[in-house]
Amino acid sequence: MSDLPQRQTDIGPPHYSKFLHPVIAKNYGKWQYHEVLSPGTMVHVSETGDKIYTVRIASPRLLSTDTIREHCAIAEKHCGGYLRFTSRNNVEFFVDAESKVAPLVKDLEAKGFLLGGIGPRISNIVHTQGWVHCHSAATDASGLVKAIMDECSEYFTTKELPNKVRLAVACCVNMCGAVHCSDIALVGVHKTPPRIDDVNVKNACEVPSTIASCPTSAISPNPATKSVKIKLEKCMYCGNCYSVCPAMPIADAKNDGIAIVVGGKVNSLRSNPKFSKLVVPWIPNNPPRWPQVTDAIKVILKAYIAGAKKHERVGEWIERIGWEGFFKETGFEFKYQHIDDFTFARETYRMASTFKWS
Amino acid sequence: MSKKYDTPMLDELEKGAFPSFVTEIKRAAAHSDMSNDLLGHTETCYKERVTHWKHGGIVGVRGYGGGVIGRYSDMPDKFPGVAHFHTVRLNSPSGFYYKADALVELCDLWDKYGSGLTNIHGSTGDLVFLGTRTENLEPFFAETSSRGWDLGGSGSALRTPSCCLGKSRCEWANIDTMAITNDITQHYQDEMHRPAFPYKFKFKVAGCACDCIASIARADMSIIGTWKGNIRVNQAEVANYAKTMNIQAEIIDMCPTGCMKLDGKELRIDNANCNRCMHCIAKMTKALRPGTEQGATLLLGSKAPIVTGALMSWVIVPFIKMEPPYEEFYELIDKIWEWWDENGKNRERIGELIERLSFPRFLKEVGLEPSPAMVKEPRRDPFFFWAEEDIER
Amino acid sequence: MEKEEVKKIIYALVEASTGKKKLKQSDILKKVSADHGIEKDEVKAALRDLVDAGTLIFTYFGGSFIEIPPK
Repeated sequence: MSDLPQRQTDIGPPHYSKFLHPVIAKNYGKWQYHEVLSPGTMVHVSETGDKIYTVRIASPRLLSTDTIREHCAIAEKHCGGYLRFTSRNNVEFFVDAESKVAPLVKDLEAKGFLLGGIGPRISNIVHTQGWVHCHSAATDASGLVKAIMDECSEYFTTKELPNKVRLAVACCVNMCGAVHCSDIALVGVHKTPPRIDDVNVKNACEVPSTIASCPTSAISPNPATKSVKIKLEKCMYCGNCYSVCPAMPIADAKNDGIAIVVGGKVNSLRSNPKFSKLVVPWIPNNPPRWPQVTDAIKVILKAYIAGAKKHERVGEWIERIGWEGFFKETGFEFKYQHIDDFTFARETYRMASTFKWS
Repeated sequence: MSKKYDTPMLDELEKGAFPSFVTEIKRAAAHSDMSNDLLGHTETCYKERVTHWKHGGIVGVRGYGGGVIGRYSDMPDKFPGVAHFHTVRLNSPSGFYYKADALVELCDLWDKYGSGLTNIHGSTGDLVFLGTRTENLEPFFAETSSRGWDLGGSGSALRTPSCCLGKSRCEWANIDTMAITNDITQHYQDEMHRPAFPYKFKFKVAGCACDCIASIARADMSIIGTWKGNIRVNQAEVANYAKTMNIQAEIIDMCPTGCMKLDGKELRIDNANCNRCMHCIAKMTKALRPGTEQGATLLLGSKAPIVTGALMSWVIVPFIKMEPPYEEFYELIDKIWEWWDENGKNRERIGELIERLSFPRFLKEVGLEPSPAMVKEPRRDPFFFWAEEDIER
Repeated sequence: MEKEEVKKIIYALVEASTGKKKLKQSDILKKVSADHGIEKDEVKAALRDLVDAGTLIFTYFGGSFIEIPPK
C-alpha cells in the first residue's frame, strides 16, 4: 500500500464555504423572504434583489454511488455543480434564474426523480438502518419507509395537508433519529425478554455492567452459572442489556413488531414541542409491505385531514379534540398498554373529571 | 461476477412511486460483490423477519476511537461479501452543502474500497459509507483524509455536530448556525476522535424555533436562535397578506400568547408578551421578521427513550450572543463536561445525570444563575435544600 | 515524570485490569493522576502516544474503553 497518500488526523470536515453556490455565498445572512412555487420548488429572495431557486427531490437515503453520480451530473449541468441534502435526506438543486428551473425539472423528471416535499405535505421519512445494517433491529426501516411513502406519495408530490406531517421510523427503541417527537412515528418493539447464553455471558460480558444496564432492575447475578438471571415480570424488553452484552439476544421473529406513536413535534410554532404518544402498541412484522401498518397510518391521516384546522399539526389537533376524541375518530382500540406505568407515568393521568364521552 | 440471488420479497419493494432502496442496492450489486451479497442477506432477513447482523467489534483507524462502526454478518459462509460490513462515518460539511466534483471523488474512492452504498446522511448527520472490510479502513481513511475529509464521531464521544442551513438560505436564522457548527467541530476534534466521555454528546444548532434540525429532541446541547426586542413589521406587506389570508383566524387567533391584534389594517404586536414561537413570522414571512438583537437560547439534555424515558432539552441559558470566538460558550461547555466527567456513570447522558443528581445542583456547580425561563413552573413540593451560608448558627 | 514512565504506568494499569473491568479513558486519567500526582493533561498526552502507536486501542461495547489490542 505504498502508493497511499499521507493520512491526516484531526482536520475536521471541509469548510462549508467551499460548497456554497455563488448566489448563496453572496447573499449569506441577507435573505428577506421565500415563496413556495410548487410542491418541489421554492424561491428565496435577498435584500440585494438576488434570487435563488431550489428544486427538491426525494431520496431513499440509502444511495448507491451510481445514483449520487447522477445527482452530481445534473448539478454540473444545471447548477454549477452545487447541491445539498436536507435534514430529511431529500436532495436540493439550485439555480439563480426562474428560466433555469424548467430545464432542471425536465432533466430530473426524465431521470425518474420524484419532485416534492415542500410546504404542508409529507416530506421524506427520517429513519434508521433496520435489517439492512443493524444488529438490534426489531423490524426493517427502509422497507417500511418505502411501503408508507408509496401509499402516501401524492402527499409528497401534490396534495396539501392542514400542516406538515413529519413521519419517522426507528427499527428499535434506541431510536436513532427524532422518532419520539414526530407527527406519526413507528418504532420496532420486542414483546419477549432476552435469552441468556450463560457460557458467553461468562466469557464475553462484564456481569456488573450488564446488571447496571437494566432500567427496571430485572437482572441479577446467577452465582451458579457465573452469569446473570432475569426476573421475567420486571423486564419490559428494552434490549439495553443486549447493547452491553451480546450474549443476551432479544430478537424474536414471531413476537417482534411495530408500535405507532403520534402527535409529536420539534418546533415551537403555536405550541411547545411535544413527545409522540402511543396509539397502537403492536403490529406484527409483515414484510415486504407491512399492510396493517400502512392501513393504520392512512386511518390517522384521514382523521387528521377531516378534523384539523389549517396550520394545526397532528398533536395540536389531538390536544384540541382530546386523546379520547382521537381514539373515537380513528377507531383504534384503547388497551392496558396505552396507560403509562414508567418514569413519567404520573404526569399522564387525568386528574380531573373533564373528559369527553367516547 | 458472483452468484445471483432470488429476492422476491425485496423485488416487491422496487414497485411503487417512491424511490427504492432495493434499486440502490441492486445498482451497487452490479459492480460490487459486497452489495450483491447484501441483497441475499437482506432477503433472508425479510424471509425470517429477523436481523442477521452481529454486534460490532473492535475496528477503527489507528489513533482514533470512533468514526468506524464494526459490523459482521452472522451468516458469513453463506454471504462472504458481507462477512465484514463496517460503516465509515465522514464528518459532513455544515449545512449539508456539497459540490459535485467532491462528491464524485468520494464515490470513486468508495467504489474502490467499499460496497458502493451510502447513507446521505446518517441520523447524526454524517456521510455514512455503508459496508467495507477491516483491511480497507486505513486505505480509505488515508485517501479521504488526504483530500480534506475527516471521520465523524461514534461511541462515548462528541458526535458530529450538525445544524439547519441557517443564514445561508433562510431569512429566519438568528444565529450563524453553519459557522457555529464548524467552529465547535474544529474546536473539539480531540473530544470527537478519542472518546473520553461517560457516553455520547451531541450538539445541534438551529437558527430559530422552527428547529429544522430537531435539536430540541435529539441533541444533548440544543442551540436555538432567538432574539430580544421587537418583531420587525412591514405594514404594507401585512395589507398584502390580508388580501389572500384571514389574518385574524390564521395568525392572531393562533398566537399562543394573544399578543397580536389588528388595528384597522395594521398589525400591532405586544412584543413584551411574545414568546417568539415563530408562527406569525413563518406564515407571514414577507411582512414579519425576527428582531435585530439576535442570539441563542441554550438548552440541555435531550435523548431518545433508552433507558429511563425520552427527554427534550430544557433551558439552561436563556440568551447568549453566539459570536466568534465564542469564549463564554466554550467556557460553559468545558465546565459542563467536567461536571459530567466527575459525576456521570458509564452510559449516562448529561440529561439523565442532571435528573439523577439535581438540576439546581448542576446550575450551582457549573456557575449558572437560576431564572424563571428555565422552568415551566416552580416546584410543588416543600422538599428543597439549603446551603451552609443560608443557615444561622 | 518522564512521558515514557507515564506510558509504562498506564500500560500496567490497563494490563492489570484486563479481563476484570474495562477502563474508560477518563478512568485512566483520574487514577494515574491521583495515584502519581501527575496532571491529567500529561497522562492524556502519554495515553495518546500509546494509542497512536497501537500499543493500546479504543474499543466499543455499549461505551468506549481503552484496552490492549487482541493478538
